[in-house]
Amino acid sequence: MHKASHYGTLATYLADPSVTAWRRGETEGVTFESQILLSGEDGGPEAIRFRFDPTLSVYAHMHLTAQFQLLLSGSMSFSRDALNLKPIGVHYTDHNTPYGPFSVAEEHEVLVLHPRQGGLMTMGNRTARREINLTGRVLHGMGDDADWTAVEGFDGVRYKVLIPHAAGPEVVMIECAAGIELPVEGAPYGRYEVVSSGSVVVEGSTLETPGLRYVVGEQRPSRLCAGPEGATVIFLSFDGNALEGGLTDSGIALDAAEAMARAI
Amino acid sequence: METKAVANRIGEVPVVVFADFVCPWSYIVQDNIDRLAKEYGLKPQWKPHWLHPEVPPEGGPVHGSNNERRAAMHEWMKELSPERAARMRPPDRLQFSFLAFEALTYAEQNEKAMPFKSGVFEALWVEGKDIAKVETLLEAANNAGLDSEDLGRCLHEGTYRQRTLDYVQAAQRAGITKTPTMILGRTMIPGYHYYEVMQTALEKQGVLPNHIEDSK
Repeated sequence: MHKASHYGTLATYLADPSVTAWRRGETEGVTFESQILLSGEDGGPEAIRFRFDPTLSVYAHMHLTAQFQLLLSGSMSFSRDALNLKPIGVHYTDHNTPYGPFSVAEEHEVLVLHPRQGGLMTMGNRTARREINLTGRVLHGMGDDADWTAVEGFDGVRYKVLIPHAAGPEVVMIECAAGIELPVEGAPYGRYEVVSSGSVVVEGSTLETPGLRYVVGEQRPSRLCAGPEGATVIFLSFDGNALEGGLTDSGIALDAAEAMARAI
Repeated sequence: METKAVANRIGEVPVVVFADFVCPWSYIVQDNIDRLAKEYGLKPQWKPHWLHPEVPPEGGPVHGSNNERRAAMHEWMKELSPERAARMRPPDRLQFSFLAFEALTYAEQNEKAMPFKSGVFEALWVEGKDIAKVETLLEAANNAGLDSEDLGRCLHEGTYRQRTLDYVQAAQRAGITKTPTMILGRTMIPGYHYYEVMQTALEKQGVLPNHIEDSK
């Protein structure tokens, strides 16, 4: 199920992986299966769920938009940065900011989340290297490294900060007991809300792990209501960099779009 | 005209590489820097960014690494610099690099910094030698055309020690945190980067490669 809605200045997209087909893919010898949760074909968000086969090296590459990677299981090891990302883990890059190579262990599963179609560009492409964003931010955070904080006045709700607001993009994990309705703010640059455990009811649909909603706009979107077993929801908010880059009809963007299309 | 253009660039666009001999990324970035110097008529200066001041002269254990991570890193180095990666023999101990920095300051004073730093990198990363030992540095100096006897005396007397320490502190004051860090005119590039990134950084400042400059 992919559902897009527009309410005034607010747009929301829902994606339910339980009804989305898996497909096999390959890029430069790296094999995986994927689900296209949101295609971005309407100019909106692009969200893809990947399960990479274990590999020592996924080649260095970049995407032409900002990106969150949300690691749900397995691990990803970025040797150059001495980073071994474990679930629940998040890795953020600004547009045109290369990362990797990285290795992928067994049971890998990650959500790749863009505000718009991001394409894929190997850093083996020398022309693309000319387009690297030298001031691009690379941020990461892991659930195991953060402590839970109770929310005063809200019994049954606690949260962890994986990437703090001060960094620009922000990632917060919120755990809610069954039946709690979670009010949420608007998201001027776009925000993914991913169910990492339990379920939520939102906009008349039930989303289970790892179902998601994407919201963009100043207006407040509708509340998320935790299902009967409660829910953990991860909020991944973009900042102004979400407006930068993207696929155009010229330069490396064409190659990046083609490479992504070929891969998935 | 051509000479003037190059001279202007050398004066206006300082290129400084903050690096440590014990850093593998500093070792492989040499190719990019040497090529940049040749193609853009620049004179890079290599300055110390002392990664491990805690390591004693006899060396110390390598921390925070495992075989799998080392293998993954080496795979990437093979992509970035196949020839250098193929010849690399990573040392099994962290080496003390300050004495080599002192010798580099001596080489800079005698206008042989480029061949000398290459010799020290080769000694450590290819020949498996200990760069904390005076004889390793004297051999590199000799190969670079320096007076190794004079260098030996300077190292013994600590002639360049204070100046080298000043360089190390200057890197700290400049906020250098990654090794290598390249200063290309007004642009700082922290960490290893592709040659094309450095080209773009220079060309955005109006510095063109020699073949374009010459055809003007």
